[in-house]
Amino acid sequence: CKKSFLDTEDVKVASDQNFYKIPSDAWKALVGAYDGLQRVWAEGVALPVAAEIMSDNAFGGTGNSDGLGFQMMDEFDKLRSPADVSMFGNNWTAYYKAIYRANVLLSKLDQIEWAGSEDLRKVYESETRFLRAYCYFDMVRLFGNIPLVTIPTTENVPQANPDDVYKLIAEDCKFAADNLPAISYTSQAAATRGRVTKWAAESLIGRVYLYYTGYYNKSDLAGVVSKAQALAYLEDVISNGGFGLVDKFANLWPAASGANYVGEENKETIFAIRYTYTSNYDGNVDGNHWLVMYGIRGKNYAPYGLGWGGGTVNAKLWNAYNANDTRRSATIVSIAGEGIDLQNKNDQREYTGYYQKKYVPMSSGDTSLAVKMGGLNFMIGQFQDYVSIRYADVLLMAAELGSPNAQTYFDDVRKRAWGANFVQTTVNQANIMNERRLEFAGEGIRYYDLLRQGVGTAASVIGESVVLQNGGANVTKNILPSKINETKGLVQIPNSQITLSNNVLKQNAGW
Amino acid sequence: NTYAQTEKISGTVLHQRTAEPVPGATVTVKKTNRVAVTDAAGKFSINASAGEVLVITSIGFTPQETTVGAGELSIRLQEADNQLENVIVIGYGTQKKKLVTGANIQVKGADIQKQNTTNALQALQGQAPGVQITSYSGQPGAGMNVIIRGKGTIGNFGPLYIVDGIQTVDISYLNPADIESIDVLKDAASAAIYGSQGGNGVIIVTTRTGKTNQKLQLTLDGFYGVQNIARKAPLLNGKEYAIIMNEAAINSGKSPLFTNDVVNNLPVSTNWMDKMFDKDVPYQNYVLGLQGGGAGSAFTASLGYTNQGGIIGGSGISNFERYTFRINSEHNLYQNIVKMGQHLTFNYQNTRGIAVDGQYNNTLRAAFGTSPFLPMYDSAGKYFSADKLGWYPGKADQAWNSGESNPYATMDYTTRNRHSNQALFGDVYIQVEPIKGLKFRSSLGLNYANTQSHGYTPVYRLSIYAFNDTAKVTQSMGNGRTIQFDNMLTYDFKVANDHSFSVMAGASSLKTKSDSISGYNWDLRVSDIRYAYLSVAQNVSRGLPYMGITGFPYERALLSYFGRLQYNFREKYLLNATFRADGSSKFASSGRWGYFPSVSVGWVASSEEFMQSVAWLDHLKVRASWGRVGNQDVIANQFLSPVVFNNAGYIFGNQEGASVQGAYTSRLANPDIKWETSQQTNIGIDAVVMKRLNVTFDYYVKDTKDWLITVPLLATAGADAPLINGGDVRNSGVELALNYRNNIGKLNYSIGINGAYNKNRIGSIPTSDGIIHGNTNVLYANANEFYRAANGQPVGYFWGLKTDGIFQNEAEVNNYVSKSGNKIQPDAQPGDVRYVDLDNDGTISDKDRTKIGDPNPDLTYGFNVSLEYKGFDFLVQASGVAGNQIVQSWRNHSGAQGNYSTEILGRWTGPGSSNKIPRVTEDNRNWTNFSDLYIHKGDFLRISTITLGYDLANVVKKSYLSRARLYASVLNAFTFTRYNGMDPEVGYNEGFSSGIDLGYYPRPRVVMIGANIRF
Repeated sequence: CKKSFLDTEDVKVASDQNFYKIPSDAWKALVGAYDGLQRVWAEGVALPVAAEIMSDNAFGGTGNSDGLGFQMMDEFDKLRSPADVSMFGNNWTAYYKAIYRANVLLSKLDQIEWAGSEDLRKVYESETRFLRAYCYFDMVRLFGNIPLVTIPTTENVPQANPDDVYKLIAEDCKFAADNLPAISYTSQAAATRGRVTKWAAESLIGRVYLYYTGYYNKSDLAGVVSKAQALAYLEDVISNGGFGLVDKFANLWPAASGANYVGEENKETIFAIRYTYTSNYDGNVDGNHWLVMYGIRGKNYAPYGLGWGGGTVNAKLWNAYNANDTRRSATIVSIAGEGIDLQNKNDQREYTGYYQKKYVPMSSGDTSLAVKMGGLNFMIGQFQDYVSIRYADVLLMAAELGSPNAQTYFDDVRKRAWGANFVQTTVNQANIMNERRLEFAGEGIRYYDLLRQGVGTAASVIGESVVLQNGGANVTKNILPSKINETKGLVQIPNSQITLSNNVLKQNAGW
Repeated sequence: NTYAQTEKISGTVLHQRTAEPVPGATVTVKKTNRVAVTDAAGKFSINASAGEVLVITSIGFTPQETTVGAGELSIRLQEADNQLENVIVIGYGTQKKKLVTGANIQVKGADIQKQNTTNALQALQGQAPGVQITSYSGQPGAGMNVIIRGKGTIGNFGPLYIVDGIQTVDISYLNPADIESIDVLKDAASAAIYGSQGGNGVIIVTTRTGKTNQKLQLTLDGFYGVQNIARKAPLLNGKEYAIIMNEAAINSGKSPLFTNDVVNNLPVSTNWMDKMFDKDVPYQNYVLGLQGGGAGSAFTASLGYTNQGGIIGGSGISNFERYTFRINSEHNLYQNIVKMGQHLTFNYQNTRGIAVDGQYNNTLRAAFGTSPFLPMYDSAGKYFSADKLGWYPGKADQAWNSGESNPYATMDYTTRNRHSNQALFGDVYIQVEPIKGLKFRSSLGLNYANTQSHGYTPVYRLSIYAFNDTAKVTQSMGNGRTIQFDNMLTYDFKVANDHSFSVMAGASSLKTKSDSISGYNWDLRVSDIRYAYLSVAQNVSRGLPYMGITGFPYERALLSYFGRLQYNFREKYLLNATFRADGSSKFASSGRWGYFPSVSVGWVASSEEFMQSVAWLDHLKVRASWGRVGNQDVIANQFLSPVVFNNAGYIFGNQEGASVQGAYTSRLANPDIKWETSQQTNIGIDAVVMKRLNVTFDYYVKDTKDWLITVPLLATAGADAPLINGGDVRNSGVELALNYRNNIGKLNYSIGINGAYNKNRIGSIPTSDGIIHGNTNVLYANANEFYRAANGQPVGYFWGLKTDGIFQNEAEVNNYVSKSGNKIQPDAQPGDVRYVDLDNDGTISDKDRTKIGDPNPDLTYGFNVSLEYKGFDFLVQASGVAGNQIVQSWRNHSGAQGNYSTEILGRWTGPGSSNKIPRVTEDNRNWTNFSDLYIHKGDFLRISTITLGYDLANVVKKSYLSRARLYASVLNAFTFTRYNGMDPEVGYNEGFSSGIDLGYYPRPRVVMIGANIRF
């Protein structure tokens, strides 16, 4: 009697004692793992934003009174903002939370009663391992030296050799590529689009292969995937995936296309991190929390919604486009070109006259579109997905890996961009890299394309001295190549984690 | 033969202050054995002759002598506040004050009612040394922070409240008029009988009860007052603001924003602070009481009504309304052997109000930062929306700041809410005393409460950020009940006449269950509070996220066994020992029991033979105590690792907003979690000197350890950290209370002074850096961490950079170099702040941050003076603190255009102009680093009450009217402080810190009149 009186039950939660029993539990845990991925950039700095700012595409920007963290990141210079010692701390934590969700599910697979749905196990395991690989690939590119955790643990895990991290990424992706069913895009049920597919896994292998072999100067992907295999995976996506290029480049991007927008689930999307407007401040993270960084500072200029003015676009990028290239106006907002009567320049840091356009909050009239849809506010209510891997990327990767159809793939991408003005150029490494710059600007790809050509190359391309406007006043901005060489293009390991680990974790050079 | 001349003398014995009759008083003719006892009306008759002396005694009053003359005698007995024979309330019982060995303090209901507050705890301010009381905000109905003997935890620091034996967490439902006394148990030995809930001290409230053989008495007490702001924050007017904005632009390398002509001819200069505050807001409280008793039963009943408006926005915006009904009665069922009774309070409260929390949740804060350029209304008489063009002085086609919004309008639109709750609180008990001294008492207590809230946000547009396109409605309901079942056996006996024992054993069980449900919906049919219910919204089919509803249960249980031994030898040598065992549902079954012992001793030195010759010392007692108490006020079920389903969705497919439900393991488990433990040693002295001066002194050392804290886990663990036990803090200090009472002729006066000094030091925190970090984003948008708990520091100390004046010129910047000759602040310009490079490493970094302030006062004190003269009475009550600091952050330094307080007019404008306030810049560079620029001294002395009263019963002599006192009173009359805010008593709690003024709702000044009438 005494025992039962004090045993009050909290019916709000299940516990790990009574969950993970049946396939539907595994499904919920898998959705939880997807949610983990949805959260990795909810706070801190999003990789797509960081990669644009660290590249030669964009500057830190943000408000004129804001902290100088984005400038520190842009210039790879710790002294720019000595107080920012854990800039990517929230992301580091969120990635490990997402990895933990995957690891827990993987460790519970054996205890689930699969009888009658054995095929599901392989599918769930593949998706889970892909999500884990995706997170690790982000982390290892950003931080370089990270602890590798494959089972839930509270141990103080030291940083792993990056080769071991890539080996896990490669094995996880390979498992998913080899075990997920080959259902082409057109045959997929519309309601499940957005889940990890065989094609997503194969495409990610291509991306990981190129980055790892380039940045680390290796001949294969950690002994798991050879160059020929990587190409074969990409060719499989092209031949059997059922994907294609959307006719008009601008139609891929909502702010650039308006009513002609093709929608989030289109034949060019191979893998996207999905977002919707139901984020709230009670811990529900469904929204794209980083989009607001790219909004024009302080005011709605329909169709563009207001935001914090981060990642102001480098004039160099605008000038790199030919005026006949349809990608220029789909990628960049030109304040002068679009005749915008900008009112908040006083509050904008590192103003260039150009803002991001592919990923930008939108407004309708003077109201945030996200709010109009039902979002809580324009900061966390944004719903635009982050399209991580587009079919165009697969085409260019296959071309780069030496596909016999390289010229065709290369032309396909360029034809769409130039339309009637298309003139063929020869496919070669330099042209592919230039094309990738123009095709993927604003999508968080450029920086890693630079790094995989070698840190030295990246440093010389990114380094510059340029006059920008802070709060309407001219200032000279310096990005020193030496800083990029010193840091090897990596970001700082969050100091909070180094402290917590009692210095088992080591800071990256230059930070 | 004198005996032959005796005759029947009759008279009445009345209470000196209240003029109520004193029944049961003993009247003795001095040096004879002639005795009489007063009846229910205080009347007596006795045989005595003229010239003989009558001695009148009654428990609780000072004995009085009077010489028999001619006619009826009217004797007024003076209350003996510190009468050693008085009985005070201790945990699960009462004890003669003389025999108390712990550190506890009693404040009489009368002394609480004299403060004319609507909240009993506020009246306690300055009356109980060692009890620091601050209001969370000046809003009516706001909660009070009560910290007994320093903060012992970074968790919940509030004490346990016991009202007539039943525990609760809040006593705001009580009308102060219903309180007989409040006893505060400060040391662990006194509180240990409450075990795992006594860690923060215990406050015991006793409500008024009737006495047997008392004539029926009707009482009417009421006051009505008006409230106004005592001191308003001075902000820049339009012209001053324009000048500062110009200067900031110039200092930021730009040309001025406004020409001189524009600055001198501004069309608008709105004083937002004036707009926010209302004048003469009502403050009222009325209580109708009835009490009486016959031979077998006694009762009191009362009806109370309280209504207090808020000075911000007036009663329409914030208001507190309370109805109370109370009846306490006791019945003698069988020859004083079996008694039963009940305490019962029903209360009904209606509240509405503004947000008074952090920067994003503080309605008043907006008024500090909004520019004076913004007009209140547009030409159509509607609130002016800041995204309209045409209000940039000098630029007709622009808006000055489309992001700021009319703070009054924001308040109007976002505070349309109503909350009400109804609660039934009380107990029924039966007491059996089969043989003299052996008592069995059983009581069943109930705390039942219902709450309802609803509100709506209308469609509005005030700026680009502040708008609402669809009316939103919210509604919530909840109910909870706690049942407390106590059983106790006590036995008082003597051995060999000199050895007095009292033993007690008891058990208590407590179970709380509650349910709540809340929801929101959009598109209200009619934008009006009367229609603000979920189903009156037009949206019925759109589903999430337009309509949402949640509902939760809550349950907890506590089972306790306790015992006490009290012993004294001739009331000279005293011993008390207690023990309690508590089992709590919050912890895993393997470790849910905790054990809390205490022991205390006392020596009444003045009772020793050798002290009898010290005539001036009437009483001297030395006390010492030790005890252990706990704190279990934490989130339950930390011993499990929960799988959560909410907030774990992901979206597949093409339909925006339609998430698929997921799940994940959110937190690691800690099966070893247990109580916070507080151990305290107390040494004290009670003395009465020259019959008039009461002295109480205490010294204590309180160690609280095993805090229930979340220690950051390595991120690689992947899950949230559970609570663990770790961290400790020592509070040590002294308390002194002096009370002196005397008279000069017919002028009776009393003076009370008390003070408490406390030192708060953290011992160790088991995190890798020895720090528990405070929240960021508190002082302004994206502000950095600025308070902490760390080893060797007080709880919640302010952590920032020290400044060393202002750079007056270029040379000073260049000369501020490190050992290696490098400039320490290379980017600084004349007019910027010079930060102290504490670690001498040549740069200003986090390593230079240190303790620059402490929110915990070193000293809390109070005093009161009261005078009585021929029916007049006069009272002054004061309270104060010293040695604490306040962080003031009224402005959002993440933007350039926020308004400033007039302090900025003393900024640096050139060499020699200021060495304290830096130049203004658009990027606010001197303010975006937390430094001692933010720190202000928090010392203050507040004259909280001044009252002058007169009892008309002195002139209007009616037999049915025993008292008709009228009075006038001023609350919060004067505050002496160097703090430049509106109120130095900043009770807002930010995390585990406090004293942070983000635009604090100040306490109003009240001017009132009132009456106390007794029939």
